[in-house]
Amino acid sequence: MTISRRDFIKTSGLFAAFTALAACAPQTVAKTITGHSSGSASVGIVPTAIATTSSTTTAVDPLTVLTLNRISLGATPDMYSRVSQIGLAAFIDEQLRPENINDDATDQLMTNFPTLTMTPAQRFQLPKFGQPIQELVAATILRQWHSQRQLKEVMVDFWSNHFNIYISKGLCRVLKTDDDLNVIRPNAFAKFGDILSASAHSPAMLFFLDNAESQKAAPNENYARELMELHTISVNGGYTQTDITNVARAFTGWTIVGPNNPIKPFGTYQFVERMHDTGEKQVLSLTIPAGGGEDDAAKVLDMLAHHPMAAQFISTKLARHFVSDNPDPALVSDLANIFTQSDGDTPTLLKAIFQSDAFKNSAGQKMKRPLEFLASALRLTNATLTGQSQQLTQHVKLLGQIPFDWQFPNGFPDVASFWANTSGLLERWNFGNLLTSNKINGVHVDVNTLTQDAQSAQDVVDVLSQRFIGTTLPDDARSILLDFASSGDLGSKLASIAGLILGSPHFQVR
Amino acid sequence: MDTKLSRRDFMKLAKTGIGGWAVSSALPSWMPRMAFAPDGVEPPGDLLVVIFQRGGMDGLNAVIPHGDADYYHLRTNLAIAEPSTGNDKTGIDLDGFFGLHPSLKPLKDLWDEKALAIVHAVGSPDPTHSHFDAMDYMERGTPGEKTIETGWIGRHLQSAPWQNTSPFRAIGMGGIMQESLRGPIPVTTLQSIADFHLQGDTSQLSEIRKRLESLYSLGGSLDPIASDTFDAVDLLSKVDISNYTPTGNAQYPQTEYGTALKQVAQIAKAEIGLEVACVDIGGWDTHNAEGATNGDMPKLLDELSSGLAALYTDMGDAAKKMTMVTMSEFGRRAQENGSGGTDHGHGNCMFVVGGGVNGGKVYSDWPGLAPDKLYGPGDLNVTTDYRDVLAEIVSKRVKNQNLTQVFPDYTVAKTLGIVES
Repeated sequence: MTISRRDFIKTSGLFAAFTALAACAPQTVAKTITGHSSGSASVGIVPTAIATTSSTTTAVDPLTVLTLNRISLGATPDMYSRVSQIGLAAFIDEQLRPENINDDATDQLMTNFPTLTMTPAQRFQLPKFGQPIQELVAATILRQWHSQRQLKEVMVDFWSNHFNIYISKGLCRVLKTDDDLNVIRPNAFAKFGDILSASAHSPAMLFFLDNAESQKAAPNENYARELMELHTISVNGGYTQTDITNVARAFTGWTIVGPNNPIKPFGTYQFVERMHDTGEKQVLSLTIPAGGGEDDAAKVLDMLAHHPMAAQFISTKLARHFVSDNPDPALVSDLANIFTQSDGDTPTLLKAIFQSDAFKNSAGQKMKRPLEFLASALRLTNATLTGQSQQLTQHVKLLGQIPFDWQFPNGFPDVASFWANTSGLLERWNFGNLLTSNKINGVHVDVNTLTQDAQSAQDVVDVLSQRFIGTTLPDDARSILLDFASSGDLGSKLASIAGLILGSPHFQVR
Repeated sequence: MDTKLSRRDFMKLAKTGIGGWAVSSALPSWMPRMAFAPDGVEPPGDLLVVIFQRGGMDGLNAVIPHGDADYYHLRTNLAIAEPSTGNDKTGIDLDGFFGLHPSLKPLKDLWDEKALAIVHAVGSPDPTHSHFDAMDYMERGTPGEKTIETGWIGRHLQSAPWQNTSPFRAIGMGGIMQESLRGPIPVTTLQSIADFHLQGDTSQLSEIRKRLESLYSLGGSLDPIASDTFDAVDLLSKVDISNYTPTGNAQYPQTEYGTALKQVAQIAKAEIGLEVACVDIGGWDTHNAEGATNGDMPKLLDELSSGLAALYTDMGDAAKKMTMVTMSEFGRRAQENGSGGTDHGHGNCMFVVGGGVNGGKVYSDWPGLAPDKLYGPGDLNVTTDYRDVLAEIVSKRVKNQNLTQVFPDYTVAKTLGIVES
């Protein structure tokens, strides 16, 4: 059973999740945005005053601007401060060890979403059908907005799309939350084989791609195909229909505990022997002898995770995400070698990307997807959630990318050609203007505070640009903004100036 | 004699009035349509509405071959019962061999009126069972081939022998543009007519607008999209489409698909140059618990058919100059699977609705469902290439004869006669 997108938005009321949050701790939210950490000894982003300067702005090294905007959902003044203290390389290393970064404030926000820590059975029994979906979507957006562990959130987004699950399909509604919690989030920086295996055991994935129903007498090939085509070796991986059939046979028995099981908890993984096809199977170069059990599929996973085409495919996707839509083949080739040598180690691959020439020369080459645009606008305007925000929900929908709402297993596309269209662009312009002029009920932006040290129209434009895009605008764009800012009452124009920068082509890239 | 007005020329002409761009009262309502074409020339053909069913619709259960005994052998649980009068859970007989799934009841009136034609055992010759590849090939109009980056509709727009510079010449409903529309002719994507205008501090909106236009004229890659967006916003602002009441009490399903169709009607009636609209309806990938007469698939069939019927009714007389066509990337396996559903298949059925349709007929070279007649791992075979259906509509109804550009490297195999010229 699936619910339509309209059902999801209208009857489940995503805004309700945002309400629960705001009612609890608006102060906490504000502190989070400005970076005050409530922890003590652990290393984290040390807050300082907002890094706007009076009259002049300090130029930041362009590589820092580029890197920080690629490893986060929007580079904030706190992040720039941290880099100026410890250097860019050390900052990246810090972000690669999220467990050492205090994120108490974000964790505190998550306590407003009880379904995050419920069991599938508990979620299943909730009177509000859409509640688990609302809460996971709201939690995801809020994490991207507030978390100090920004690179982790970037990788959570990456892997969530790579191992995409459409949350509104049947039981995914009550299972995807556990996938997020147990498969994606802990494995954001794992070795590829580990996250692959975790995903293959994920009840949400087993349900989404129908493996939970697959059995010896009637195998279901959906997961088997997508495992190879989308998760590992790609459509060019050289597999045949016979391979798909045999992978499906290998995975028979990998299923989910049902609601009526007296012993085991509903919605968890289990292997059921009697569903399993124990015959011999040949998958690509792998021979699986007859008589095996749960391990048949584990052997398939291991083979696929170490297949050279997986190295190629995952490297291509990482390069596409962090560097450019059509990544340089030489970069991909290097990464594929590193993938093989490091056993698919995500941090090793990421560092190789950030150190590459291709990366360093890629400024302006990645367009923000809607969620990246949204998070960066909220982060960099220092926006706070102050109440019910049905309008924020509506804007998420109009921007065109609701988390976990993509119906196919391939995840949201990661190229500009998909996202650059009239409705998307119009909505970005509108969101920027409405956000900064406080016309989104329940979301507050204080442009006056953002520009408090500015003493002229020029200052306002420069201070806001520096804050939003990490640098002052190029001359041609800057003079357009100055032309607007310099006439009339500056004080009444602050929101519109900010909105113009958020709508500018310069803010559409990361 | 080329009296074509470029979009820029038209927009300059339209920019009378206060604040740098036209207000809605400045132009008579007939102006937008005529302004896009040389005098006396309008797009000569039908409004084309293309509905893509994402996921692979199970054509065998949508239009059941109740006259084929193998259908019942292969689907002991899923098959729809043979038509039986007085029982609304059975197939609705069409011609003694084929029947409509009962949830497609809204199409029966169109069938009786001869405004609905069905093509069966139709599809792409490419064997792929991958959703993405199959959709890719189908929308590009080049099965098996990914070197051509444009879509079949994009190439139709490019090759059509008339002019139309309206930003609403072709629209893709939804937040993303359908691949079929890719091409050199700009297309507007649209989610919500009501939201399709610049928003912000209203006292400064015209100044903001001016600066945004300038910011998107600096040579960046988004400049063309931005320009198209301004053109589309301006044009839509000239027509009053608030408080829309569908004609004939047409009831659109209250889903994204239904709302999209209703907005297509609104834009068509606004006469701002619409020629082609693409609408999606998702959810057809019924591997699991597909449902025979109750469940996921029947609900979708109800939604699909209600929408088609509503648009036809709503367009009233203008339905005579409209053709709707449905398609899906592939059909589904002839035999049901062990999960109450069906796996990816091959041959499918298409619905063609409109005033110029030779309706009341199922056009099919039925291959049969016996084991030796199935395709690949057990799919309904394809005996009509989907491009034959589209080509006939494009040439006879939309009036573009440049079919070799619309479907490169393809020669139409047969003319079915599904539509009149």
